[in-house]
Amino acid sequence: MNTRVLSWAGVLAVVVLALAVGARPSGNPPTPVARAERIAAELRCPVCQGLSVADSDSPTARDIRADILRRLDAGQSDAEVRQAYVERYGVWILLRPPAEGFGALVWVVPGMAAVLGGGGLVLALRRWHRLRTPEPDPDDRHRVEQALGRPLLP
Amino acid sequence: MTAVVGSAGVALGLFASLLGIAALALGLGRCDDRLLLIGRRAVFLVLAGAVVAAAAMEWALVTHDFSIKYVASNGSLSTPLLYTVSALWGALEGSILLWALVLAGYLVVTVRRFRHRATDPLVAWATLTGLVVAVFFFALMVGPANPFRLLDGPIPLDGNGPNPLLQNHPLMAFHPPILYLGYVGFTVPFSFAVAALVTGRLGEGWLLETRRTTLAAWGFLTVGIVLGGWWSYEVLGWGGYWAWDPVENASLLPWLTATAFLHSVVVQERRGMLRVWNLSLVVATFALTILGTFLTRSGIINSVHAFSQSPIGPALLGFLALVALVAVGLIAWRADLLRSPGRIDSPWSREAAFLGNNLLFATFALVVLLGTVFPLLAEAYDGRQLSVGEPYFDQMTMPIGFAALFLMAVAPALPWRAASGEVMHRRLAPSAWAAALAMVVAVVLGMRGLAPLLTVGLGVFALAGIVRQFVAGTRRRRHMNGEHRLAALARTIGGNRRLYGGLIVHVGVVLFAVAFALSSAFAVERELDLGLGESGELRGYDVTYLGSETTSGGDKTTVSARLAVGRGSRRLGVYEPALSQFRGTTQAIGTPSVRTTLLDDVYLTLIASPNAQADRVVVGVRVNPLVVWLWIGTGVMATGTVVAAWPTRSARRRHPPQLPTEVVAPALGQAAAEVPHVAGAGATPGGAR
Repeated sequence: MNTRVLSWAGVLAVVVLALAVGARPSGNPPTPVARAERIAAELRCPVCQGLSVADSDSPTARDIRADILRRLDAGQSDAEVRQAYVERYGVWILLRPPAEGFGALVWVVPGMAAVLGGGGLVLALRRWHRLRTPEPDPDDRHRVEQALGRPLLP
Repeated sequence: MTAVVGSAGVALGLFASLLGIAALALGLGRCDDRLLLIGRRAVFLVLAGAVVAAAAMEWALVTHDFSIKYVASNGSLSTPLLYTVSALWGALEGSILLWALVLAGYLVVTVRRFRHRATDPLVAWATLTGLVVAVFFFALMVGPANPFRLLDGPIPLDGNGPNPLLQNHPLMAFHPPILYLGYVGFTVPFSFAVAALVTGRLGEGWLLETRRTTLAAWGFLTVGIVLGGWWSYEVLGWGGYWAWDPVENASLLPWLTATAFLHSVVVQERRGMLRVWNLSLVVATFALTILGTFLTRSGIINSVHAFSQSPIGPALLGFLALVALVAVGLIAWRADLLRSPGRIDSPWSREAAFLGNNLLFATFALVVLLGTVFPLLAEAYDGRQLSVGEPYFDQMTMPIGFAALFLMAVAPALPWRAASGEVMHRRLAPSAWAAALAMVVAVVLGMRGLAPLLTVGLGVFALAGIVRQFVAGTRRRRHMNGEHRLAALARTIGGNRRLYGGLIVHVGVVLFAVAFALSSAFAVERELDLGLGESGELRGYDVTYLGSETTSGGDKTTVSARLAVGRGSRRLGVYEPALSQFRGTTQAIGTPSVRTTLLDDVYLTLIASPNAQADRVVVGVRVNPLVVWLWIGTGVMATGTVVAAWPTRSARRRHPPQLPTEVVAPALGQAAAEVPHVAGAGATPGGAR
């Protein structure tokens, strides 16, 4: 028992350690180029079929990328840049729909469904757990023995 | 003339489907076996009609019969033969024709497989249901999506040719047919589900009988979806393979529900539970293939307003509603028969893990469905346009993906009924240590980021568990029979191909997941503005501009830049990304050039045509790590599917006992190890004891 617990505690410790070292974001604040890339990935390329500004090589997307960088260099925050584009193109430009009004549903519904489904599953498992195991009656045993072609072990 | 033959083929298909339905319905009503046999034979006529129609269309395309509107819009004299042939599935009407052809093929395979049971009501009802679906698709071709409609007005000397994007890569010849083999295949389990509901034979029989078709359809769909991603990667030039585009999502949706079904069906077979749920998944999978066709073919996704103009949209929507209504009605009608007394003893059991899997996949499907149709809902609600794109899907599906990977590592080690701590420790601790160490190694090698590290850890966790199962199975055989190692391995797999085939699929999934996570996390890109002879560098690769050339041929004028790729002093070859201008279009189509290795891809695109005076080019360079493992992983998944689904002689002989599972289940506690085909199917070596 003790070695079992120790072993799993060891696994957990190693995993946590690895994640603590490896998953930590680097200490420096992100560069304007990195910020621009992140913003571009969340803006819809207005002239493409469902590509983001970051993924598109179209002239429009290239202009927008340059414009984002210009705005960041001018000291605008990420939110301000996004807002500027929403004002120009509408909410439609955001590939990540804002969680407000009707649009909040797209964020909330899957989570709610998962919680409901998971909750239902847990309840069902608990109810099943409380049920007594049914004993096979002689008739059941007889049918299984027939299927096996020989008597069941006692 | 060709159009007449083709239309005759369509008419024959429609007529034969209707004839078959009438014969089967009458035969079932009057218990007349002769009528049932006529109905069965009609299926062969349906296939004949579909083959004639498809062959006529191919003939028209190859002989450039521009009197047919479809040929004039999608073929041209200068289109290469491969893309002329594949123009059959390049547009709406042709793809419906392909759908009908594949459907007729599946129906014929099905009635041939059940030729000795043609008068069995279950088989007759399933055939009838399949024919109803066939009627729908043939009727589409008679009505709104007639592929053989003649051109009004004078016959042009040349056609428009396929969409430029569709004649740029040979994968176009394979991706749609394979995808359709997947989509359409789900008609067979759907038909049997309906037949089981109608006849009231809701035991496990219909599941077992359609198991292989479902697996095959699932395998085709998997390969078809990935080929689509591969095509996108090789052709579209944005460096990625999956953009959560509505069309892609439409193909993913039935895959998700089918994957859930393949897992939960095992619970029904073993424990007699989840009958309604499994029926719902089968119906949902089929309905989602129709919904996907509706979403992608009606034009509703690009603009809500195109809806009323699209001729095929309302028909597909109506059919979808019919499918849903009939299925829900039948399930409600049979509710009494569907109730099952089974139960799950412990949350630490294989069957509980399958339920967890189903919860994950159902949630995944809900996310994808909601995200895909949400812009439509929002616009219908308050007229506001909004977008739901990649950042949404990434954020919502990532936790589900991690949970699924975790479950994939743990579930195969869980025994049926209930696990003891001791067993779980013995089976999982070595894999868990392997996973932890793999994460440490990854960190030491410099990998950073939560998602990639978690994927590596969970991937190794799952992989180590799979290796353990193969080793344990092989070792047991060697001890028991003294077989040679390889022979023991082969017979282990052969002895329970469903389990081991499934595990091979899991290996492919792990490869795919790791490649997906790492290739998206660690791709780098750079734009280079190069003069003749100048080089730029990205992640150790140098790219040198050697010159450009322009070629004109057929429909297009292509400008390609010659770029030498090297690494340090090693020269790795010359690559030629290109931009093509097709006749009659304004936008240039880029063709990326990709250098693929097992470690990473150098992905080159030509962004702007060479400037003639200065001879400078602007090229995009991306280094995408591990992308090739996506395709390899998919190959492994396909292999595992074949292992699990390939027919054997013994499978035909070994019929399950015709005992209701709920009677057998309680007694199985002690009999599990004694009933070979019950304990064997899907059990871990070592069993539950």
